[in-house]
Order: sequence, then C-alpha cells, then structure tokens
Amino acid sequence: MFLINASECLVDRSGLSRRLIGLIASMIIGVMVTVSPVYAQDKTITIAVEGDPTRLDPHTHGLWLTYRVVYHIFEGLVQQDLSRDDVHIPPIIPALAESWDISADGKTYTFNLRRDVKFHDGTDWNAEAAKFNFDRLLDPDAPHFLETAVGGNGWWIGDIESYEAADSHTFVVHLKTPVSNFLQRLVNGGYGSAAMSSPTAIKKYGEDFGNNPVGTGPFKLAERVFGEKIVLEKNSDYWDPTRTPKYDRLIYQPIAEDAARELALISGGADIIASPTPDSYDYIRDKGFEIVSKSGPGLQALWLNMKDPKLADVRVRQAMYMAIDREGLCTLLRLNECLPHYSIINRHGPGYDEAFVPYSYDPEKAKQLLADAGYPDGLDIRFEWGAGGAGAVGTKAFVEWVQRDWEKVGIRTELVSYDIGAYFGQMLKGMRDGTQVMTIGWGETSYIWLEFVITPDALPPNGYNSGYYDNPELGAVMKQVKTALTEEEMVDRLKDVAKIIADDVAWIPVYAYKLAFAVSPRIKGFVLAPENWQDLTLLEIVE
Amino acid sequence: MLKFLIFRGLYALPVLLGVALIVFIALHLAPGDVTQQILGLGASEERAQALRIQLGLDRPVLVQFFIWLGNLLQGDLGMSHYMNVPVVDVLSRKIGNSLILTGGSLFIVVLISFVLGTMSAARFRRPFDRFTVVLSLLLASMPVFWLGLIFLYAFGIIWPIFPTAGMYDLKNPGGVLDVLHHLVLPATATAAAGVAIMTRVTRASLIEVLGQPYIMAARARGLKERAVVYGHGVRNILPQFVNMTGLNVGFLFGSSVFAEVIFTWPGIGLQLYDSILKRDGAMVQGCVLAIAFVFVLSNLIADFVVYVLDAKKK
Repeated sequence: MFLINASECLVDRSGLSRRLIGLIASMIIGVMVTVSPVYAQDKTITIAVEGDPTRLDPHTHGLWLTYRVVYHIFEGLVQQDLSRDDVHIPPIIPALAESWDISADGKTYTFNLRRDVKFHDGTDWNAEAAKFNFDRLLDPDAPHFLETAVGGNGWWIGDIESYEAADSHTFVVHLKTPVSNFLQRLVNGGYGSAAMSSPTAIKKYGEDFGNNPVGTGPFKLAERVFGEKIVLEKNSDYWDPTRTPKYDRLIYQPIAEDAARELALISGGADIIASPTPDSYDYIRDKGFEIVSKSGPGLQALWLNMKDPKLADVRVRQAMYMAIDREGLCTLLRLNECLPHYSIINRHGPGYDEAFVPYSYDPEKAKQLLADAGYPDGLDIRFEWGAGGAGAVGTKAFVEWVQRDWEKVGIRTELVSYDIGAYFGQMLKGMRDGTQVMTIGWGETSYIWLEFVITPDALPPNGYNSGYYDNPELGAVMKQVKTALTEEEMVDRLKDVAKIIADDVAWIPVYAYKLAFAVSPRIKGFVLAPENWQDLTLLEIVE
Repeated sequence: MLKFLIFRGLYALPVLLGVALIVFIALHLAPGDVTQQILGLGASEERAQALRIQLGLDRPVLVQFFIWLGNLLQGDLGMSHYMNVPVVDVLSRKIGNSLILTGGSLFIVVLISFVLGTMSAARFRRPFDRFTVVLSLLLASMPVFWLGLIFLYAFGIIWPIFPTAGMYDLKNPGGVLDVLHHLVLPATATAAAGVAIMTRVTRASLIEVLGQPYIMAARARGLKERAVVYGHGVRNILPQFVNMTGLNVGFLFGSSVFAEVIFTWPGIGLQLYDSILKRDGAMVQGCVLAIAFVFVLSNLIADFVVYVLDAKKK
C-alpha cells in the first residue's frame, strides 16, 4: 500500500484537488455545526474547580469536590453557618428544622420542621419527606432503598435506632447510644450527607437522581455537561432571604491543570478559582486579584507501620517525629501556606490544643534516640505516597522535604509514588510488608474522620488504620468521645486521644494545610470559613 | 472495490479486539478498588463484597471480558460508576469535540507540511531546506504537554490573545467564531509533531521523485523548473501524502489527549484522564476503544482513498 511506483501515479489532477478541497471543507463544516447554548446577558459567576464533580446525589456524591456543588442545591435539617471566617468550627444553625430538642439522655432528637418550604419541583417539605429520605438509607423494605449508599453513610446513620414522623411537621430520631456530635454529623459532607432530596424526584428517577437533583437549596440545577460545566440557577423562592443569591447563575467549570486554572482567572474566564498554587500568588495579586487563604480542617500526617520490626522501638518513631523541621517546611517550602502541626487532632476539629507539642524539632536528640534503639548507623525505610487528589498541592515537595530531614539523622528513605486511585486502594488494604511510612491529608470539622483512621475498628480492610495501630485502650476512649453527653467531656476525651497517639507515636502529624481561593475584583462577599466547602450564596457582583 | 473494502474492514476487527482485550486486562492489573471509589471511605468490607458481586467483579476475569464484549457488540459500553450515565452517551459528545480538535490540527498539519515539504524539496540543500530540516527536528522533539505549557505562558500571560481553557466562553458563548478562537492553541500544540513528521516525509518523497528518470526526461524536454517540480513531482507524491495524512489522523487524535488536559478541551482525552484518576473502568475502556476505533477508521479511509486514486489510473 505504501510503495507506489511513481511512474504509474499520474492521477487525474483536478479530481484529487477536488477531494482535498472536499476534505478541508468538511472539516470547516464540522466546526460550524457545533452550536453552543446562549445565555442572556445576566448576572453569572463562574468558579473554576480542580476536577469534574461526580453524581449530584447528596447520599452518594462521594467527594468533597462534589459536595461543594451539592451543598448549594440541597440542605439538611440543620446546617453550618459558613458566613464567618473567624470561628474555630462553623456553628450549627437551623435549616429545614426551625428548632430541635435533645432529650436528657442524649438519645432522642425532636426536630420541629420549617413550614411553607417546597422542593424545586414543588413537592412539599414535611416530616413525611424527611422520613422518605431516611428510608432511602435505613429501611431495606422501602422501594427506593439504596443499598450501595448504606456503607458510605454509616458515620451518620450507624447509630440511628429508629425515626418517625410524629406529626406533619415534627420529625423524631432515636439513637442507640448518645452521640456527642450527632448534629455535626448531620451537616458533614463525607461520602454522603444527611441532605434532603425531593421524594417525587427520587421516585421518578431512582438511581439516576444524581443527574436530576432536586432539593430545597438556594440553587437549582439548570444544566450539566460532563467534563465541561455544571450550571446552577438561582432559586428565587428560597425560604431564607439572607441566603437567596443576589445573582442569577453559578457555573462550575472543572479545570484540572493548575496553570490553566490560574490563567482562566486572569483572562476573565473564571471569577473564582479553587487551589491556586502558592508560587503564583504574587503574580495573581500583581494582576489585581485577591488571594483568600485560611487554615482549614485538613492535616497532613505520616502513617507508620506499627507491625514493622524496624519501627518496633518507640524511640525510632520518636526520632522520626523529631527529625522533621516543620517550621522550615511551612515557611521556606510552602511560603506560609501551611502551619506546623504536632497533634493527631486537626486544627479546626474539636479538642484541638495549639499548646500541645509532644516533641519539638531536635535532630541531635533524634540521632541519639536512634543510636539508643540500636541504629547508630541509621536505617533504611520505604515511604509510599500518592500523587494527585483534591487539595493535594505539592505533595512531592513535601515527601522530599521529609526524606531530606530524615537523611540528616541517618534515616535513608526510598520514596515510592502511586497515582491517587491506586494509593487509596493500598491504604485500605493496609501497608505492604517492607513499607514503613505512608501519608495522606485528611481532617474534618468533626472528629468523625478519626473513627476511620485511628481506632481498632478501622483496621484494614475496614478503614484507614493502614499502619495496623491496634490499641484497645484508644478504642475505648474513642467510644467515650462518641457517647459523651456534654461538649466539654467530648473535648477532654479528645485531648486524651491526642496524648495516647503522641505517646505511642503511631502517627506523625506534620502540617495543617490552608484552603486557598483566588477571587476576581468583580466579586464581593467571598467568605472562606474553616470548612472543606464554601457558601457561595453570599457572593455579589460589583460592576 | 467492494472486496477491498470488506477485506480491509475484516482486517481492522482483530486490531480492535486486541485493543479491547489489552485495555480490559490492563485495567484489571492496575491496583485500586472500584468498590471503594463507589462506596466511599467509610464503607465496610461486607458492603464492598456485596457490591463486587452486584457488579460482577467477583467472576473470573475472562468471563467478565466476554460479558463486556457481548454488551459492546450491542452498542452497550456499560455505565459510568461515577456519573451514573451510559458510557456511550458521554462518549458520543466527547468524540465530536475531539474530532473538532483533531480536524483543526489536521488542517494545520496538512497545510504547513505540504507547503514546507514541497518548498524545501524544491530547494534541496539550499538555506531554506536546511532551515526546514532544523525546524522539523525541533518540532518533533517538543512533546505536546511541554509545548502546551509554553503556549499557556506565551499566549495566556505575555501576549494574551487566545483563550487558554475550554471550548467556548461559558458566560457569553459566541458560536463558531468563539469555538475557533478557543481552538487555535490546542490545535497548534497538537499539530506540532505531526507537522514535523509530515514535512519530513513529504520532503523526502518529493526528493526521491525528483530523482526519477521521467523527471529528468521532463527537464530534458525543456520544461520550466516550476512546472517540473509542481506539475510532475508534486502530483506524484499526492497518493503517499494522502496515505500519510490518514495515518496522522489517528496519531493526532491520540496526541490531542495531552492538549485536551492542558487546555481543558472537553474531549475524549480529558475524559480519559479524569476517568483514570477516578478509576472509572467502563469509561476508561470506552475512551481507549473510541480512540482505537478512530485510529483504525481513519487508516481505513486513507487506504480507501489511495485505492481509489490508484484504481482510477488503471
């Protein structure tokens, strides 16, 4: 086919040109037929995010990235006040419940539901609708029961014994044991959330509800094109005037490439972008845009393999802890976009105590500890880490910083990287033999995440206790945390948790990362509360 | 001609089947658990196991492959776990977007390489020829993702005349012109390597043709140089040019993956990238198959065009 005898190739010239012209013309026509939807010139705000959100189903959304969108379409019985950035933990305020009573034993919650609220499709919000939503996750006999969602929502439905619609606007939840932060669980967005969906829409769409989401929130879904955009439209009938959007349309555009996201802001394509890179801050500011960055609930920690013989001696683990220069990392490497962190209790979680620093940076002491533990010439370890994931800016630089610090005290580290999907799979299986360290960033404004990480119940494959830290005493304290009747008691027990983990050096916390956004001067009212999602109803356009 | 078509069509089948098998196996060998992606961080092992059974992931790999293949033949590529939509629905739109990008870069490749290739062959070993050779070497050594980032810097920051993200302005979409405006950078970045290869090939084949006895004969008859080169020389490399163009469609379609990620062009490449990160197996398989399909199909069309050109003179 390729070898054509040139002398035989005297083709009809005009015919060939015609074909070439035809080819070019068809390409141009191909471009022409692409018709884009046209919006009227009204008030639109565009936000460029790190990736394409998943299904917009509040019970199965799966990622924080998606919850940031879901949060604007749906709401639960209670909600967080994200209009303030000066709080340690965003306070819980009424939403679809106007008020609530908690019984003295902490086991019964009676919610008085808001009247005259309708879902976007006109369905009435009432106690029946609340029950319908709970049934979706808790009643195997309900026709709309969604079995695949049960496991992922265990952290908020796991302790519910029963629930009932006492009257048309009273909804009662009975718990098996008191749960110290049950209301907090109702506002969290983990794999799923306790947000309320329209029963009519769930009946109509079933599992496909995620592509046809109907809630009661300040925005409704107008259009979605996978990988391109999610267009939300203002809900003019929203019940809360203070959170009724002052603009018409909110568009989420996924832009995975950091540089492209930053350019989208500068060129005016996006009004707000998530996670600009610290190296670009000066440039972005020079161009007249605002960088909003604040400490958030996230915490980067090292998971240690407690089964590994090399780490069996606590002095080795202490040495690893003390050899890391956290201050240097945050100021020099991260340009102050992170804060040194020393406790397993995260910065914006309950029980955090800034003064709690179990071991400070001391490379000399670290060397001494290694020698005492029988490693005068140091030791070799393997450190696995995952590249990618939302909010994970600069993980490579971080693990190399740790490698460098450890090298100074004689801990020679081999770094092995995975892509993030494979990495989480490995975390869930537990650390491989011969791997001593893994790392991820995690942390929420509640302690729920600790239940997935540090307790004996979370040992692989049931959780992310990937380093096999099996301490029944800690398990018992975590149960006390959960069943505490007062907030003071809960906080005190969490401080005990911090101490136990620090004594055993089962995890090495390194830094708390900041949340960061860049905002156009066209936009006012962007508030970055210490939470992994933000309230964009507060935005205003200034022309 | 019909025989030729059928023969070539059948020849493409094992290629597609092979691609399907390799993609399927590769995805099974990669670590990472789709049930965990679906069920979330806090799900128990029992739930995960139940879901594996529901999705058929507990069956032998070969059985899973044949079930999948059977569905494939019925046009069913499965559901995207993440988005809860049929893979085919997403792909059909994405392929269109990718073809626009591929079309744009093919246009650039054909135009530039044809002009550069023939002009430099006609000026064999003269300064212009040397320049083209060096230029094509440079272009061929620039990976799309590198060139793309340079473009971002050059045309996003220094001289911001082209949009750097997306396919159209989200706030005020401006129709065809808007799409063309967004197309410039990704299409050029994708085209660079293709331009280099096609220029080299065009140049080499024209040089070869110009050394043939019948060209000498034409010169001996006293034809002008222009008529010799463009009238007799270029005409005779056209079938090969068309053939190479066909091969390039697949190649460009494949390289556009990188340009799509960098310039957020909502095509099949960006979808593939996103789906790999999310371990969305059905989607990954669909994307790779679609790319292979376009590759095979474009070669088939090129072969056919050459066959027609060839048959005509007989």
